Amino acid sequence: MSEQAEAFVRRTGGEWWMPYWEAGRRRELRFQRCTDCGTWRHPPGPMCPSCQSFGVEWARASGRGTLLSWVVCHPPLLAVWKERAPYVVVLVQCEEGVRTMGNVLDLAAEDLRMDMPLVVDFAPSPDGDLVPQWRRA
Amino acid sequence: MSLKDKAAIVGIGQLPFSKNIGRPEEVTALEAARLALDDAGLRPQDIDGTSKWSIQNTAENLIARNLGVPNLRWFGEVGYGGGGGCGVVAHAAAAIAAGMARCVLVYRSRNRGSGGRPWAGTSRERDQSQSESNETAIYAPYGFVRPVDQVAMFTRRFLHERGYSTRHLGWIAVTTRKHAMRNPMAMMREPMTLENHAASRVISDPLRLFDNCLETDGAAAVLVAEASLARDCRQKPAWIMAASQGMGPRNVTMNNFFKDPILESPGAHAARDLWRMAGVTPQDVDVAQLYDAFTPLVLASLEEYGFCKPGEAGDFVEHDGLGVGGNLPNNTSGGSLSEAYVHGINLIIEAVRQIRGTSCNQVPGARLSMATSGNMVPTGALLLRGD
Repeated sequence: MSEQAEAFVRRTGGEWWMPYWEAGRRRELRFQRCTDCGTWRHPPGPMCPSCQSFGVEWARASGRGTLLSWVVCHPPLLAVWKERAPYVVVLVQCEEGVRTMGNVLDLAAEDLRMDMPLVVDFAPSPDGDLVPQWRRA
Repeated sequence: MSLKDKAAIVGIGQLPFSKNIGRPEEVTALEAARLALDDAGLRPQDIDGTSKWSIQNTAENLIARNLGVPNLRWFGEVGYGGGGGCGVVAHAAAAIAAGMARCVLVYRSRNRGSGGRPWAGTSRERDQSQSESNETAIYAPYGFVRPVDQVAMFTRRFLHERGYSTRHLGWIAVTTRKHAMRNPMAMMREPMTLENHAASRVISDPLRLFDNCLETDGAAAVLVAEASLARDCRQKPAWIMAASQGMGPRNVTMNNFFKDPILESPGAHAARDLWRMAGVTPQDVDVAQLYDAFTPLVLASLEEYGFCKPGEAGDFVEHDGLGVGGNLPNNTSGGSLSEAYVHGINLIIEAVRQIRGTSCNQVPGARLSMATSGNMVPTGALLLRGD
C-alpha cells in the first residue's frame, strides 16, 4: 500500500461504517439489521428508522443483487485512480432491500444492462484492503 | 402564522465573476455587502441580522465588525452547500416574520475558481475541511468521490426510467448558454450547439463537461427587509411570497438514491410546502431559476416542482420551454452552467432582477419569479412576487 493511496482512500463516514469494511476484509458482505423488528438498513447508523430501536447486529447478506445504475469515471481524477480510468462504479439493489455500491470485476461498461443480476465478490481497493465488489451473477 | 409577504428582497450586490478574483473571501463578501446596501439605499446601521451558508468561511462577526453594524440581534446559517441558498433567505424572512430582525444581510463569497476542488483532498483533509460530515467519502475505496460521479449515478437511472436521453441534457446546456450570451457578467458567452454539447469530453458517463457548472471566484449579497422598511427602500421590493426547505428520508448528501422512490430528490419535499404557502400553482410562475450545478438537476426539478409530469420534461426542454418566450423561461442570466457557480446566490439575484424588470433576458411583465437550490442535497425554494 502506497502512502498516497492510504491518504486518499482511508475509510471515512464515521464509526458506523467500520464493521462494513471489517467484514469485507473477511470476504463477507454484512449490513446492519435491527434486532427488534428485523429491518435491514444501509447506509449504517445508530438507530432503526422503522422502530427507533438501538438494537443492532451486522448480519450476513446473501450477496445477490441487481444493477440499479452505474457511472464510468474519466479524468480529471486523483492520482490513485487516474491510472485505472476509465473505471465503473455500480449502484446495487441487494436482495435484503438495501442498496450499496462498488466497482465491477471482469465486466466492461459495455457489458452492463439495467437490472442485470450481480453477485458480490472481494478485491483490493488502491490501499490494498479487500472491499466488496460486484461481478456478473 | 406564515412568513408569506412579511419581507422582501430590497438590495442586491454582485461582483464580476472570474477564475481568479485576486482578493480574499472576507474582502469580497464586504464589497458585495456594500453594493447591496447602496442598491437598497440603506446603511450598515440598518442591518440587524445576518444569514449565511454554513460552509461560508467568513463569519458574521467579521462582517459586522468591518461593516460597522452596531447591533446584530439575529444571525443564522443553513447547511448543505448548494442546497442551502434559498434556505438562507427563507431563514432571514422567518426571523423577520418572528420579529427577531428587521433587515438581514445574506452573503456568499467563494474563491473556488482559483482554489482547489473540495473532493481532491486526502480523506483526512476532506474530513477536516467540510463542515458537513464527510459522508460522500465513504465511497473513497471505489473512486467515487466527485459530485459529478454522484449526480451521474442518479442521472443514468433517471434517464432510463423516464425515457429521456443525454440530448435532453444538451438542450438545457444550450438554452442556458443562449441566455448567458446576452449577459455581460457571464463567464461563458461563446455560442453552444447540441453538437458541441455531445462532443464535449466525458467526465462521468453519462455526464460530459458541458453538463457541469463553472469553477468560479465570486461574491454576492442580498438584503432582506421587513415590509414597512422595504416600501421605503430605493428599489421595487421583491416580496417573499413563499419559502420552503425540504429533505426526504434516508438522505445521504449527494448520494440521494438510497430511498424509495429512488428518483425522488429533496426538491420534491421543498415543493410541497412552497405551493401550499404561496397559494398559487406552478402554472402561475412567470420565470424560474432552477438550480443547475448539473444539467440533470433541471430536468428533475421540472418534475418535482410540478411544471411537468414525470416523463414529460424531455419534450418540454426540447421544444424551447426554458427559453424566453417559452412556457417557463429558466436561468435567464446563464445560471450556474454559463454565468457563474456561487452556490446559487446569482440565481436568487436574477430572480429579483426579473421582478424589477432589469434582467438582460427580461420576461415581459414578470410578476412571479422562482428560485430553487441544489436538489441532490437537502434543499429549498423561493417564490418572489412584485407588487
